[in-house]
Amino acid sequence: MDITLRVNGTTRSGSPEARKTLADFLRDDLNLTGTHLGCEHGVCGACTVILDGRAVRSCLMLAVQAAGSEVTTIEGLATDAGLGPLQQAMWDSHSFQCGFCTPGFVMQATAFLSAHPDADEQEIREALSGNICRCTGYQSIIDGVLLAARRNTEHASER
Amino acid sequence: MAEILAERYTGASIRRSEDPRILTGAGRYVDDIKLPGMLHAAFVRSPLAHARVLSVDASAARALPGVVAVFTGAELEAMTVPGPDALMALLSWTGPTPEFSLLATDKVRFAGDPVAVVVAESRYLAEDGCELVEVEYDELPPVTNASFALDPGSPPLFENLGDNIARPHSRNEFGDVAATFDSADRVTDVHIDVHRHQNVPMEGRGCVATYDADLGLMTVHAATQSVHVTKIAIAMRLGMEQDKVRVLAGDIGGSFGLKIGASREELAVAAASRAVGRPVKWVEDRSENLTASGQAREESFDVRAAVSDDGDLLGLDVKMVVDTGSYPAMGAMVPETVEAMFPGPYKLAAFGFESTAVTTNKACYVAYRGPWASETFVRERVLDLIARDLGLDPLEIRLRNAAPRTNPPAFMITGRPLVGVTTRESLQRLAQIVDFPSFRRRQADARARGRYLGVGVATFIEAAPGPRSPEGASGPLGTESMRLRLEEDGIVALFTGQMPHGQSHQTTLAQIAADEFGVPFEQVRVVVGDSDIVPFGLTGGSRSATMTGGVALHGARQLKAKVLEVASHLMEASAQDLLISDGQVLVRGDPASAIGLGEIARRAAVGDVGAGVDANLEVQASFDGGEGGWSGGTHCAIVDVDVETGLVRVERYVAVEDCGALINPAVVEGQIRGGIAQGIGAVLLERSAYDQDGNCQSATFMDYLLPTACDVPRIEIEHLETVPLDADVNFRGVGEGGMIVAPPTLVNAIEDALSPFGVRIYEQHLPPARVLELIAAAGPAQ
Repeated sequence: MDITLRVNGTTRSGSPEARKTLADFLRDDLNLTGTHLGCEHGVCGACTVILDGRAVRSCLMLAVQAAGSEVTTIEGLATDAGLGPLQQAMWDSHSFQCGFCTPGFVMQATAFLSAHPDADEQEIREALSGNICRCTGYQSIIDGVLLAARRNTEHASER
Repeated sequence: MAEILAERYTGASIRRSEDPRILTGAGRYVDDIKLPGMLHAAFVRSPLAHARVLSVDASAARALPGVVAVFTGAELEAMTVPGPDALMALLSWTGPTPEFSLLATDKVRFAGDPVAVVVAESRYLAEDGCELVEVEYDELPPVTNASFALDPGSPPLFENLGDNIARPHSRNEFGDVAATFDSADRVTDVHIDVHRHQNVPMEGRGCVATYDADLGLMTVHAATQSVHVTKIAIAMRLGMEQDKVRVLAGDIGGSFGLKIGASREELAVAAASRAVGRPVKWVEDRSENLTASGQAREESFDVRAAVSDDGDLLGLDVKMVVDTGSYPAMGAMVPETVEAMFPGPYKLAAFGFESTAVTTNKACYVAYRGPWASETFVRERVLDLIARDLGLDPLEIRLRNAAPRTNPPAFMITGRPLVGVTTRESLQRLAQIVDFPSFRRRQADARARGRYLGVGVATFIEAAPGPRSPEGASGPLGTESMRLRLEEDGIVALFTGQMPHGQSHQTTLAQIAADEFGVPFEQVRVVVGDSDIVPFGLTGGSRSATMTGGVALHGARQLKAKVLEVASHLMEASAQDLLISDGQVLVRGDPASAIGLGEIARRAAVGDVGAGVDANLEVQASFDGGEGGWSGGTHCAIVDVDVETGLVRVERYVAVEDCGALINPAVVEGQIRGGIAQGIGAVLLERSAYDQDGNCQSATFMDYLLPTACDVPRIEIEHLETVPLDADVNFRGVGEGGMIVAPPTLVNAIEDALSPFGVRIYEQHLPPARVLELIAAAGPAQ
């Protein structure tokens, strides 16, 4: 089935089988392998992408359902100047170890912070509680999101 | 002018060099590999725990468009070499050795046992093909627990063994066990179970195999803890010479012991690729990971403890049974380590240990972060049970029994010296951090209001790498090797057999080498993941901090000496007068003389140094662990148990640990917190569950529950850094300790919370339903 969608600001077309998941379409057809598959049943959150402004599990969605949508993946967050602010804060916070869950956390946190820029630790923990990390015990990830939120607030108050 | 000394990287939380790629989606995991003409494999798996395979009919699958090949167990057996598990062979196992093929042929031995492999143009089509493979089974009685497996009448999983014994019963005694128990004031007698749970890395197993028939060369992209162990396993099973097998690995999405070597499925994929002449990829899905990749623990212990009325632990007598599941490998070997480690940091006058391992119709035993950890669980549980009987404080009984730090050090009764063990110091430091008297008051107030708080303490020691022994190197796997080279662009390249899968070696080893060599951190490259160019090695057993950190330090020192020798000829100065600073060689006190390392290497490469000078700027270094030593410490948890729902909330968690000098504190603390999180999961959530027919009941993440950001508290970490043991290398490992000690810490806290009910806990898995059962069985609160 022919579909067209915007991915990371670029118009992309493809002809996925009707049963192909959005995750497989991104990874196989568009070579965007930054999106990872951790469970393929919607629990671990590693495959999270932002679709029309909302964080969604790309393993639970068919590619054809994303036709006409605006999709952002982990590959779409860095800027010409380098890492995006959340990515930078996570680097500074030693947020991750093996990195496999990383794209899901980064996309989930990106969507959450854009809606809740002043979130506190407990709100961030709850917002990220649908993403599983097996390496870190979460504290470093939470610290990275808190740091990004704080920098964002400080930056806003300087303007 | 003063010398310009680079800031030291070692000891600082340098940002990881792995992160820019990981944070932007540019990591390269095995599932990201895409080769021209690549096919995809999927496995037909047994729905039954124990059955004879009567027939396999793959004709319909073979006829499906897009399916390129189907290999049944018998067909695959004809394409490969029979033999024992490669890892068992590598570790020189001499016990019962089951004979089995990569895919089931005559019988299946657990629900999930691979029976056939379908190779197709896509994973979707390969799974379609699996649906069309017809397998006829004749069901056999399943052996689903150790007590049935110990029954000589149980149907043997492996005909060549004749029974279900994977490790015959054996007993060892240290000290006079009978006399110690005879003369003790009291003997505590308990049975303790540790449940089956598993690694669950976020990335499962997987590989991409490709075979060049003209060159006879097999290349496998693998997710592995050791490219060389994987290479050896492939060469063994495919009947190839080792130099014809090349194993490559990129980023690896966690492992925790699961990905040592090559699994049966990965070996089958390599064989299938060779047969079809095209690259074949297989990446397991989560259901395969949970049911068939391997599971850990499931051990039971009968423990007798000889105790004085004052609380001196005089002797232990332990009987261990390991349920290794099907296809036994490491599970048959783990009792040796459990025995050696069982005394921990405590003085014992006598110790008896006996063990047996059995095969059952469940997924096979694999190593999981601190594979011997049950000894710590049992010992720390028993100490608390004794303390409760005697009315002693949990800190007090541990301080009373922990061996003091002496020179020369005390020896564990099982043989190893407690070099650098600071258990007593960690207990004392914990008592300063956690105000126990104040907690007891708060606990009493809370109980009066129907809220049940508890505090738990446990200590551990971790052989990371372990003390130097007269027989050889520290640690279980001998010396560590590294090749180091000054490249012509001035980069110092470290080639290591370590295969990091979250441990941050590309950062930590570069920190050490940069300091020792005198170059900026960014000028060091850590090269991993290619069996053609890295020396033998394995990431596991908490060995890399000491062993690989040590060889990086000594290797950088050797390479530096060689570079200075070459530079002395180029700069016409004595090597003793030269130094390396900020990536340049200069004559001491003469900054104008500075020459970049890249220029030195280029001039050496083209022969500028003249005849008779060894201008090969490469060294092969090895390190035996130096003085070695133990990591260890004390953990403490404060929990809040809701006696209406059975829910346990971890209110506070404190870890006092001693791993010597820290290479990168943020990396160390990440390892500690990650291990504790897995321990929280093991106690409160995770269980690899089977029903009585041997059906796995935990095949999805809805059934196998992992801790989330709401289940793991902020963890407080305090580092003790003991006096140096070695002249140079005092980094010790921390990979396993959190997972080793968190389970007893938590269970001790939960029992303390439930002490008004008289609850005594003899198990490790305490989900809400089980907590409620324990309360109900114990009776009303006193």
